[in-house]
Amino acid sequence: MLNKLKMRLRALLRRAEAEHDLDDEMSFHLEKEIEQNIARGMSGEEARLAALRSFGGVEYFKEEARDVRGVRVLEELWQDLRYGLRLMRKAPGFTAIAVLSLALGIGANTAIFSLVDAVLLRTLPVAEPDRLVLFNWQSGKAFRISGSRGIMMGDYPPGVRGGSSFEYHIFEKLRSDLVREQSSPLSSLFAFANLWDLTVLVDEQAEVSKGLAVSGNYFAGLGVPPVIGRTITEEDDNPAAQPVAMISHRYWQERFGADRAVIGKQIKLNQTTFTVIGVTPPAFNGTSQVDYHPAIYVPVAFEPTLMGERSAMKPNKPGVWWLQLMGRLKPGATLEQARDSLNGAFQTLALEMMPPPKNTNDVARPEPKDYPNLVALSGSRGMWEMRKLYSFTIYVLLGVVGLILLIACANVANLLLARAALRGAEITVRLAVGAGRWRLIRQLLTESVLLSLLGGAIGVLFALWGKDALAAMGTGHGEFLPANLEYSLNWRVLGFTVLISLLTGILFGLTPAWRATSHDLTTALKESNRSAGSMSRSRVSKALVIVQVAISLVLLVGAGLFMRTLRNLERVELGFNQENLLLFGLQPSSNGYKDERLLQFYERLSERLDALPEARAATFATIPLIAHYQNNNTLILPGETVQTGARHLTNIQIVRENYFTTMEIPLLRGRHFNAHDDGRATKVAVVSETLARKYFAGEDPIGKRVGFDEKTAGQIEIVGIARDIKYASQREEDEPLIYMPWRQNGEDLGEAYFAIRTTGDPMALTAAVRQSVRELDSNLPVRDIKTQAAQASEILKPDRLFASLLSFFGVLALLLAAIGLYGVLAYSVTQRTREIGIRLALGAQSRDVLRLVIWQGLKLVLIGLGVGALAAFALTRVIASQLYGVRATDPLTFVMVGALLLMLALLACWLPARRATKVDPLIALRNE
Amino acid sequence: MKQMQTELLQGTLDLLVLKTLQTGPTHGWDIAQRIQQVSRDVLRVGQGSLYPALHRLEAQGWISSEWGASENNRRAKFYKLTAAGRKQLANELELWELFSGAVALILKTN
Repeated sequence: MLNKLKMRLRALLRRAEAEHDLDDEMSFHLEKEIEQNIARGMSGEEARLAALRSFGGVEYFKEEARDVRGVRVLEELWQDLRYGLRLMRKAPGFTAIAVLSLALGIGANTAIFSLVDAVLLRTLPVAEPDRLVLFNWQSGKAFRISGSRGIMMGDYPPGVRGGSSFEYHIFEKLRSDLVREQSSPLSSLFAFANLWDLTVLVDEQAEVSKGLAVSGNYFAGLGVPPVIGRTITEEDDNPAAQPVAMISHRYWQERFGADRAVIGKQIKLNQTTFTVIGVTPPAFNGTSQVDYHPAIYVPVAFEPTLMGERSAMKPNKPGVWWLQLMGRLKPGATLEQARDSLNGAFQTLALEMMPPPKNTNDVARPEPKDYPNLVALSGSRGMWEMRKLYSFTIYVLLGVVGLILLIACANVANLLLARAALRGAEITVRLAVGAGRWRLIRQLLTESVLLSLLGGAIGVLFALWGKDALAAMGTGHGEFLPANLEYSLNWRVLGFTVLISLLTGILFGLTPAWRATSHDLTTALKESNRSAGSMSRSRVSKALVIVQVAISLVLLVGAGLFMRTLRNLERVELGFNQENLLLFGLQPSSNGYKDERLLQFYERLSERLDALPEARAATFATIPLIAHYQNNNTLILPGETVQTGARHLTNIQIVRENYFTTMEIPLLRGRHFNAHDDGRATKVAVVSETLARKYFAGEDPIGKRVGFDEKTAGQIEIVGIARDIKYASQREEDEPLIYMPWRQNGEDLGEAYFAIRTTGDPMALTAAVRQSVRELDSNLPVRDIKTQAAQASEILKPDRLFASLLSFFGVLALLLAAIGLYGVLAYSVTQRTREIGIRLALGAQSRDVLRLVIWQGLKLVLIGLGVGALAAFALTRVIASQLYGVRATDPLTFVMVGALLLMLALLACWLPARRATKVDPLIALRNE
Repeated sequence: MKQMQTELLQGTLDLLVLKTLQTGPTHGWDIAQRIQQVSRDVLRVGQGSLYPALHRLEAQGWISSEWGASENNRRAKFYKLTAAGRKQLANELELWELFSGAVALILKTN
């Protein structure tokens, strides 16, 4: 055994010596043979020839002897690699086109895979993420909860409801049970919840940051150590404790310049002073991973302090369901065991907390089949549901880059087929002198894999650039791609690249290699490199061209549809004038403003803003328009009660009295709001056209009284009708919308968005606006300052990105296909030189030759367009839901894209065709 | 005289080589010559099978090789039986006796 190993090693390391020995041994044998022959009386020359004859094929025996060394495969691989590299150097043009095609294809795939990795595959950067459990719940529709916050997601079957958040008391009970229960499959149970807007005051500088409320055992449960300082502990998670906070690594760097003295520093969060106790690790971004990266971590117990009246926690009575629950499994425990260990207690608590019936069809206690049940999911990837929102984009992109790679493969396969035909002579000679077919196929495959690996290496460079582009494209909000996503080319991504490089190398190399080695030796040798296998070769490459054209058409149609969608969205009539409008947000409630003081604050700020020299008018409302914000409630119409009312879901906008004139929303009938519409006067409202038409068909809504709950039902009098506007986005259909005056709805004005109609460039007012706010309250951060036009354009970002990404890939596919078409025709012209020469000699005009060649290519393109149109017809349905104002089968897009493709194809055909007309019949015929 | 140059039974060549080397180390050409002489020209071992067989036996550790000088002082590769080779030869001889005896029995009937 050892001997064998030694011999192989020696054979591998000292190949030259081993070869030399083999030569020596063989020649010694020959010499002895010759000696003997001479001794038998032959002449020297006779003796040598007889010896050689009896010896047989020296090389063949050497080959057999080498087999025994057992490293032949490796040796040959090395040989093939060197030969392949030599070939690549000898044909730089071929190599460049092939490698570039592959680099584009593989690079695009690597970039998109880094996205798949970051969004769908990567686990949380915590200790043993595979042992984390994330809890959700499901129940029948008859079960009710006292309000919920956070992400309600998942595809529930009909009749089932559920959620991912839990009530605080439920968490507390389950957690304290766990501490007592020794045999539990869980070693800890912890909770967390997003605190979307925290007003942070550091060194007299106010700003809004994202927070995360965490239970005291959150960091211990996850196994996340602090970078400096300490983590939040059980002792901190107590309303009676000193308020403490941890900050994220990024926030520490950006806001505190990575100063270690941050530990112990006092910062104000929503008016309460917290002490910074630690910094989280750089890779740790909370438990969502995508989109929501908290800057500040505070104990759950301080949520009421921070949120005030908006708190989700009610002492001694059921609060809002707002906490996400995660647990850590003990080694060997399963998700099912974790679920079963908590489900009983959860069910009891949840049923106890069910609020009393409100509507007529509510039941006091649901049937057992409608009881709530826990669902245990793997927590290794954090709030996984959040990431799944992005899977549409990712699957579309994966499909697109997959198609691009196919086109690139087809291109290279075509080039290789052409080259294999030129190398026909070399290969037939090799076969004739006894090379094995498998051996030759292996050599050809080594060459193609070499090409694809080189393409992959360059592709990684493209991917590096591509991933930065992708990272910049993140939009968040569950659309298109997540914001703040950290892409990296880790081992998984690079492994993927190597794998697809190898696979593509084999994919595009196999057919050419198979064909090249299946020549009939006698005919091939006779005809040399003229036409060996050219019939079947051309059939394969024609099919490849057809496929390329078809794929390009599919991608370009997709791009065309998205471009038309974008154009339609940009031209949507918004119903108000978005030019020269500056927007910004304020949340005075987080600084303790309420009731009369809040209204006074708005009044004084509005007056200041009105008085700015470049401002024509300033107004404010609860939400900004065209920003995906939505505030809605069920409207109770005259004659209805809370119990009997149908669900008239209505958008709400609480506004300053000059809102309609400032935004330039025409009032169709009735009156505007005015300064007398205050708390003492009758509650009033202005409704949209659509509301009037839908809820008051055939009646005059003016003077009718509506409401939202028991308190306001029949109290709010409609005084005007305004023209419809787009409310949350350009895509929405006109929906019922009700406007109400701010003085009568102060309780809903904890935050507001101002809009200033300016005389010139709105952004020029930025400094003046900040100054005005600072003069009133220097601790109040100004948020989201931007123009209304920028806001409207911003929410079209996903559509814009889809359109530009698909266009980019579509054009890429088109170029690759054109190169492929050109290559096939150019090769065919070379092959048909003689035929063309004869045609010209017999009197054909260059026009005829031109037509001959162009038609040859055009036939393929037309077939490809036909196939592509059918495929696009079937595939574009997938994206139908993302389109606006254009059908997935829009004929105009199909025709335009087809025409574009045809034009480029004509160019790709014309170039070789023109060369064909330049054939000199004399030279062409003499060459034969 | 009939010659059985090719198609020696699988494994038989190995046995012949091992047996030939039992008398002492020698080089490839000599092995072929001895087999031919001892079998009175009935068995002729082609170089094409001899050298692969030698390298195979060496790889299995039954013979070892070293370079030495031939009768007329030419550099030649000498093969010799190893201890494992001796054991293997004994095994193979036993098997061969068994085998040839069995074949002879069958052929003698009728």
